[in-house]
This record gives sequence, C-alpha cells and structure tokens, in this order.
Amino acid sequence: MTASLPWILWLAANLALLLSTRNPIYLLLNLTGLFLTGNMLAQKRTQTSWVQQNLRFLLTMILLSTLINTLFSHTGATVLFSLPETWPLVGGDITLESMVYGAINGVIIGALYLTFNILNLALSIKQIIRLIPRAFYPAAMIVTVALTFFPSIQERAREIKEAQMIRGSKMKKVTDWLPILIPLLVTSLERAFLLSESMTSRGFHAHQESRHSRLAIVGLTLAAFCIFSGWVFTMYDYPKWVTFCLFGVGGSFFLILLILLGRQTRVTHFHQESWHIKDILGTVLFSSSLIVFIALRLSNQLESLSYSPYMALSPPTFQWGCLLFCASSLFPIFLKSND
Amino acid sequence: MKHHYGSNLINLLVFILGFLSLVAPFVLPQARSQLSSGASFPIMVSLILVLCLVIILLEIQTSSLDSKMIAFLGMLIAINAGLRFLENAIPGPAGFSPVFFLIILTGYFFGSQIGFLTGAMTMFVSGLITGGVGTWLPGQMITAGWVGQSAALISWLVKNLKLQGKTGEIILLAAFGAGWGLLYGVVMNLWFWPYLASNTSQSWVQGAAFIENVQHYSAYYLATSVVWDITRAVANVLMMSLMARPVLKILARFKNRFRFTHSAGRNL
Repeated sequence: MTASLPWILWLAANLALLLSTRNPIYLLLNLTGLFLTGNMLAQKRTQTSWVQQNLRFLLTMILLSTLINTLFSHTGATVLFSLPETWPLVGGDITLESMVYGAINGVIIGALYLTFNILNLALSIKQIIRLIPRAFYPAAMIVTVALTFFPSIQERAREIKEAQMIRGSKMKKVTDWLPILIPLLVTSLERAFLLSESMTSRGFHAHQESRHSRLAIVGLTLAAFCIFSGWVFTMYDYPKWVTFCLFGVGGSFFLILLILLGRQTRVTHFHQESWHIKDILGTVLFSSSLIVFIALRLSNQLESLSYSPYMALSPPTFQWGCLLFCASSLFPIFLKSND
Repeated sequence: MKHHYGSNLINLLVFILGFLSLVAPFVLPQARSQLSSGASFPIMVSLILVLCLVIILLEIQTSSLDSKMIAFLGMLIAINAGLRFLENAIPGPAGFSPVFFLIILTGYFFGSQIGFLTGAMTMFVSGLITGGVGTWLPGQMITAGWVGQSAALISWLVKNLKLQGKTGEIILLAAFGAGWGLLYGVVMNLWFWPYLASNTSQSWVQGAAFIENVQHYSAYYLATSVVWDITRAVANVLMMSLMARPVLKILARFKNRFRFTHSAGRNL
C-alpha cells in the first residue's frame, strides 16, 4: 500500500476510534497494531531504533499524564495516601482511579502522536504536498520553495557557523546567533530575488484577483459559519435533522466552492501516483470500516467504547465488533507491497 | 479602498470564528455531557480551524502574492524552519525557541497578511520536515499566523507614536514577543483541554460558570505549561532586544526590491 488515499483513510479510521474510546483493552490493542505497522515501515526506511524511540516517548507521556492527573485530581474511591490539605493544588487524597484515568489519557495522546508519525513514515513529503488542494497553488509553491531550499540553507548555516568559530566565536550565547542569522538572511534573500526573476521569466504568475474569487471567499466564510453553527447546535441537543442540514449544506457548499476555485488553475503532474491492487483493497477496507464505525457510533451500539475508572475502579467491558475496529491499525501489514 | 475593507471584514469574521471555536468550552457552558460530546471536541475544533485557515490563505493569496513574494516567503520560511534546528546548535533551556522572532518582524514590517502567512507556513513546513503533521498542526498554524498578523498592530502603534528607529520601537516589539510567548501556550492548550476532563480543579466542568472554568483553565495552565512558556517569552525578549535592529535593517533593504509593481502605461 503506497498511495496517499488509503493511508489518509487509515488515519481517519484510527483517529475516529482513538478519540471515541477510553476503554484500555481497545486502546492497548490499537497501540500494539500501531507499533507493528510503524516497525514495518521504519524497517523499510532502515530506521532501526524507531520502536525504542516511540516506546520511550509513549512511556514518558503516560508517566507525565499519570503524575499530573494523580496530583491534581482527588476523586475516586480507592485512596492510596493523602497529601496535607494545606498544600495548594496538590493537597488531598491520591487515588488509584485518578492514576488510571491519567494513564489512559497518556496512552491516547501517545497513540495519536504515533498514528501521525506512521503517516509521516508511510507518505513521502512529495505525496503530502500533493494533497494540498489545487486552489492553493501559490501557498503550495511557497511550501515547495521552502522545502527545496531547506537543505541548502542548513548547509549554509553550518558553513557560517564554522567560519565564525574559526574567527574565535565560541557559539554559546544568544548573541552568537546574530553573526549566523544576518549573513544567512542576506544571502538567502538575494537568492530569493534571483528565484523570483527566474519564476517570472518562466511564465509563473500568481492567481489574479477576480470578482468570482472574492465572491467565493465570501461563500466559503458563510459555509464555515454554517458548519460552526451545526457544531454549536449539536452541543445544545438540537434535533439531529437541524444539525445534519447545517453540516451537510455548509460542508458541500465549502467543497464545491473549493473545487470551482481549483478549476481556475491548470496543473501539470510530472509524476503520476501509481495504484496497485493493494491500494484499492486498502481504500475499500478503510473507507467501509470508517463508515460502519461512524454509523454504529451514531446509533449508540458501541457502548463498550466509553469507560471511566471513576468513582470506583471496574473492569472494562468489550464487544467483538469493536476489537475488529481496533485491529484496523494492523491491517497495513497485510497490504504490504514489495516495492 | 472598498476591497481593503472587504478583506479586513473577512479576516475579522474568520478570526471571530476561530477564536469562538477555541473558547467554546468557556462561552458555551450548557453544552451536553462530556462523555458524549467530549470525543468529537478536539476533532471539531481542528476542523473549524482548518476551515478558517483555508479562507484566510485564499484571501491572502488572491490579494497579496506574486512571484516575488512567493520566493521571498519561501526562503524566509526555510530559514525559520532551519532556526528550529539551530536550537540544538546553540543550547538554551527547554522552551527556548527562536521561531517567533522572524514571524513577528515579518508581520511588523510587511503587514498583517504576509505576517500571517509566514507564521502559518513556518509551522506547516517545520511540521513536514520533523514529521510533526497531526491534529495539533491546524491549531499551531493558525496561532502562529495570528502572531504574525497581530504584529501589524505594533507597526501601527510605532507609526502613530512616531517611534521609528528609536529604542521605544524595540521595547514595544520585545513586549509584544513576551506577550505572545505566553499567549501561544494558552491558546495551544485550549483545543485539547476540555477533552482531558476528569473532575479535577483544573478540568472543564460542564455547565459551570465562565469564571469558574477560566479559574480551572488557569490552574491547568500554571501546572502544565507556564514554565515552558516563560522560557519562550524570555527568548523572544532577548532576541528582539539583541537582534531586531540589524534584522529590521536587512528587511528594509529588501522590502523595496520585493514589493515593487510595474504596470504598462495607457498610451503604450
């Protein structure tokens, strides 16, 4: 699986699960899948210490989150010990339940980070830039220029630093940044001027402002307000048809306007993304899994997703169907391409 | 001029939208129970921030970008992303980051739109380079964009107080950097904070009064982020007071070269 779309769908399916559950069984299963998938991709890129690095990060997150929640939350039935009430913020009972809640939060934050880390491993920077919609080609051009010149700017920064060190600068104080920054800025901006001249001479010009684009921006703002209102109405328990209408109208209006704006720009692709049978399989698998999950979640059939250790600690429940959704983080291993 | 007002109005509306979605936990206390709406909260906030970013980027790119500005911004952002790596070259305490220095100066010198673009794109590019693309990125992009955008206010202040080239200009910039050093952390914690609710004195309480939730958030901020943010604020003050003057001179030198326009005469 190498194409961008199945990976984006995999990400969406994983995010939907991670942000919907606090059940430790599901979280641990999902996390195991993430580590196995990440390990497979990291080995492909010869990053041998990926698992250790991320395991260290995950453990730090769990530890920090547990510590913060335990010290500041004094709710729960199982009191381990107490800190004097006179101590500001941390004074009170230290409970097992708040420790567990903190650890679960740490696992969720760690798993969210891991999911995006894996996406960054799976897709090349070129693929990610290509996901920027066509309407934003000037902004995408800025990103491309920045990424193209980033290595040479780093190289120049290193050269300037070495030159300054030869002149006796120790490079230890904040003021030592100045002799690096100033030459770097001057040379880079000179180069930017040459680049802009060569862009103009090759026929590049940014989007011309028209009445249509101005109207489209007003329309996009209205559509965004529609979606925002839908969200606020959801929180206030308005009838579902009202919120669905607002989300639907706002969302489709936003997408249509973006597509129309994108059509004003002609794009030539020099590198076509290749699709294999495993990419198609992945797209079908992850999109259907996402749709089924959202449908079941909206109809409240996945009760075991919610879990709270408060007031007294209780074992989490599980449903077989949910286990399948959790294992979706593992599926890219079975769709591995030998490329 | 009419177009200028329209552009400002859209920017203001989008700012209100983004800001409202971030402060929703405070201003919408009657929102329904945490268990059912909490899960979707960070995703919805990120989604609305993405929509805001889309609108502002389109607005800016249709009104202020030509090939010169694209090349200029591309280079400036590459330098800024590089500075994030240079952090490791010259050691500083945790949270010490030079990244806001150039964002603020660009917004101050080239105006709110270019400032916004520098901030947002710096976060995006450094996210791509470090593998830090995630749900947190829209929040980082829009907040860093606001840093650059609001720097134009300092420019207005300096012009009105006639402080150009005086020490007062640098003092204002340093104070602005210190303020955003702290505020950046305050804003960045907001999108995830209600999701972490767990009946503590620092978590969002459904249905609680505005003041009570603000107190809870303040306690959470003090406990988790304040040390980190103070270091960032100190870094901004240090860099502004030591380096702003020479960097402003360089930007002034390049401003006229990057901002000229040419148009064919009517009789040609």
